[in-house]
Amino acid sequence: MKKLIQYEFRKIFKRRLTWIAVLAVLLLSFALSFSTYQNKFAFDGRNQASGRDAVEMDKAIAAKYEGVLTDEKVQQMLSELVPKSDSRGLNAIYLYQNTTQSAVAARFSDINGNWNGQSVSDVFGSEEIKIGYVDGWICASRDMTKIFLLLSFAVIIMIAPVFCTEYGGVDNIILSSRYGRSKCAAAKVIAGFLATVIITTVVVSGNMAQAFLFYGKDGLDCSILFAPLVSISEYIPFNITCGTLLRYQILLAFTGNISTAGITMIFSALCKNQMAALVASVAVYVFPAILPAAESGTLFRLATLSPLYHVLFVPIMSVSQIKDGILFAVFAIPIAVLFAIVGYLASCKIFAGHQVF
Amino acid sequence: MKLKTVELTRRYGQKVAVDHMNMTLTSGVYGLLGPNGAGKTTLMRLLCTLQRPTSGKILLDGKNIGKLGEKYCSLLGYLPQDFQYYPDFTALDFLLYVAALKGLKEKSARKKSKELLEEVGLEAEGRHRIKSFSGGMKRRLGIAQAMLNDPRILILDEPTTGLDPKERVRFRNLISSFAKDRIVILSTHIVSDVEYIAEKILMMKSGQIIHFGSPGEITSEIDGLVWECSLPAGCAEHYAAKLNVSNLRNEGRGHTVLRIISEKMPVADAVQVQPNLEDLYLYYFKEQGGGK
Repeated sequence: MKKLIQYEFRKIFKRRLTWIAVLAVLLLSFALSFSTYQNKFAFDGRNQASGRDAVEMDKAIAAKYEGVLTDEKVQQMLSELVPKSDSRGLNAIYLYQNTTQSAVAARFSDINGNWNGQSVSDVFGSEEIKIGYVDGWICASRDMTKIFLLLSFAVIIMIAPVFCTEYGGVDNIILSSRYGRSKCAAAKVIAGFLATVIITTVVVSGNMAQAFLFYGKDGLDCSILFAPLVSISEYIPFNITCGTLLRYQILLAFTGNISTAGITMIFSALCKNQMAALVASVAVYVFPAILPAAESGTLFRLATLSPLYHVLFVPIMSVSQIKDGILFAVFAIPIAVLFAIVGYLASCKIFAGHQVF
Repeated sequence: MKLKTVELTRRYGQKVAVDHMNMTLTSGVYGLLGPNGAGKTTLMRLLCTLQRPTSGKILLDGKNIGKLGEKYCSLLGYLPQDFQYYPDFTALDFLLYVAALKGLKEKSARKKSKELLEEVGLEAEGRHRIKSFSGGMKRRLGIAQAMLNDPRILILDEPTTGLDPKERVRFRNLISSFAKDRIVILSTHIVSDVEYIAEKILMMKSGQIIHFGSPGEITSEIDGLVWECSLPAGCAEHYAAKLNVSNLRNEGRGHTVLRIISEKMPVADAVQVQPNLEDLYLYYFKEQGGGK
C-alpha cells in the first residue's frame, strides 16, 4: 500500500499542470504580498513614508498606545493624531494618516475628526480590547484570502486527473490486477489528500514567512477589533486576536482544500476525461456563491460551511461566536472530515465499479 | 485449473458482442481468431473482469470469478489491445508500479522486472522513459507487465502487433516456455503466430465460438478445399479477383502461383494442398465481419 501511495503521489507531481498551478499560486502570493507591503503609506504629522518605512512608522505610532484600550488612550490618540483636511475637500474622518489614526477615527471621531462622545464601553461593550500594530497581519490575512482561493483552484487542477486519466487506457491494467479495485483506488485518494495537504502547507508557510519578514511578529496578541478603517473587523465582530484570526484562516485553508479535494476526487472517478472533471468540480465548488442567501439566514450559515466559504474565510468567521474565541467556523473541521470520507468512499466505489469499454 | 463460461452474454444496447458462450478451458495455449467485431476483445475483457456479463457467468474451478475478486485477479495477467502507459515513467518504474498493483513484494518485484526486461529484450532500456520507445518496444513492455506475477491465466490481446519477425519469434518462444500448467489465451490477426504456438484454436464469429479444436483438427474441415496452381501473370489477376485466393506468389518467368480455397477444382491443373490456419480463416472470414 505504501508503495502504491508513493507511485500515485509521484503521478500527481509528475503532471506539468500541477507544477504550473502550484508555481503560479506561489508566484502570485509573493507578488501580492510584496505589492501590499510596497504600497504601505503612513504620515506621522510631519513626515510621510511608504513601504518598509511606512510599516516602521506605523509600528512606532502603535507602540506609543500599546496595551488595553481605555478612554484616556482614545482621547490621547484623538488629540495627538489630528487628521489634516486635504485639498480635495474630504472630511477629516476619511483622511488616512496612519493605521492608529485610522482605527481611532473610525470609531471615536465625528465627521470633522472631533471626539464623537462614545466611550470604549459604548463601542466595545465589556470587551477588553488590546491594541497595537495589527495592520500588517490584517493585510497578510486579506492577501491570503485571495491566495487561498487561487490555491483551491490549483487543488482542483491537481486532483481532477487522479482517476479519470486512467480511463484513457491504463485502467485495463489497473483493474485487472489484484489490488487495482481496492488498494490502488485507496492509494489514489490518500495520495490526493496528501498532495493537497502538502501544497496547502507550502503555500501557507510561504505566506506566513513573507508576513513575518515584512511585518515582524508585532500585533499577534492584539484584538482585530481595533484595526484601521475598512478592514476585516467590520465583518468579523468578535474580540479575537490577530493570532487567533490567522489560526482560523490557516485551519480553514486546510479544511477548504481537503473538502475541495474530496469533491474533485468524486468527479475525477465519475468523469471520463480531465476537462469534464475539472469543470464539474469547479461548478460544484462555486455553486454556494450564487445561492440567494441572506446573511442572517440559515441558508447562509449552511452555505458558509461549503469549501468555497472556508477559503473566502470572512463570511464563515462572521456567523457567530460559540464561546470566547471559539467561532462557528470550527464546524469546518467536521465538514472537511465528512467531505474527505465521502470523497474517499464514493471515488473508490466508482473506480472499483468502472467497466472498460 | 478449469476456466469455464456458462451462457456468457454481453450486450451493448441492441448489439450482442458475446452471445450465450459456453466453453471450458484447461491448461494450454489458446489462439482466439475472428474478424474485427467478432467479440474477441469483449470476451477477453469479460475474462479479465474488466466488464460484467449481461448474463451468464465465468467459473474458475467451479467458483464465480466475480465472487473470487482479488483472488482471481492475482492469477491473472493481461495485455490489452490498446496498451497504455505513463509516458514519464521509465520501463523499470512502470513494471515496478504494475508489480505493486499485483501485490508483489518490492525485492521480488525488482528481480522479476529485471528478468522480464531481459526476456523481452529491453534490458538496456529499463531506465529509459517509455515515451521514447518505439511501438514494438512498448508492446514488449506490455507483454512483460502481463507476466510479472507469473499468472496462471495469461490473456494477450494482439500481443504481436508492431513486433518485427525476430521479436515475434522471441515472443512465441517466451509464451511456449511459459505456458506449462497455465491457461494462455491470445488473440491476433497474425494467424501464423497462433498456428505456431496455440494448442487449441477458438474461432469466433458474431459473439459465438464457431470452431474449437487443435489447428490440425480444425484445418481438417477444409481438407480438399485448398488448391495451388501456376498461371501466367495476366490470368492470375483475373482469378485473384474472382476466387478466394489465400496467397499469390510471383515465380518469375511471367508465372504466378495462386493458393485458392475452393469447393471444386478452380482451374485446370490445380493441385490439392494441405490447408493451414490462414486458409481456414479466409474460408470463414473472407469478407471482414462476414464470410461464409
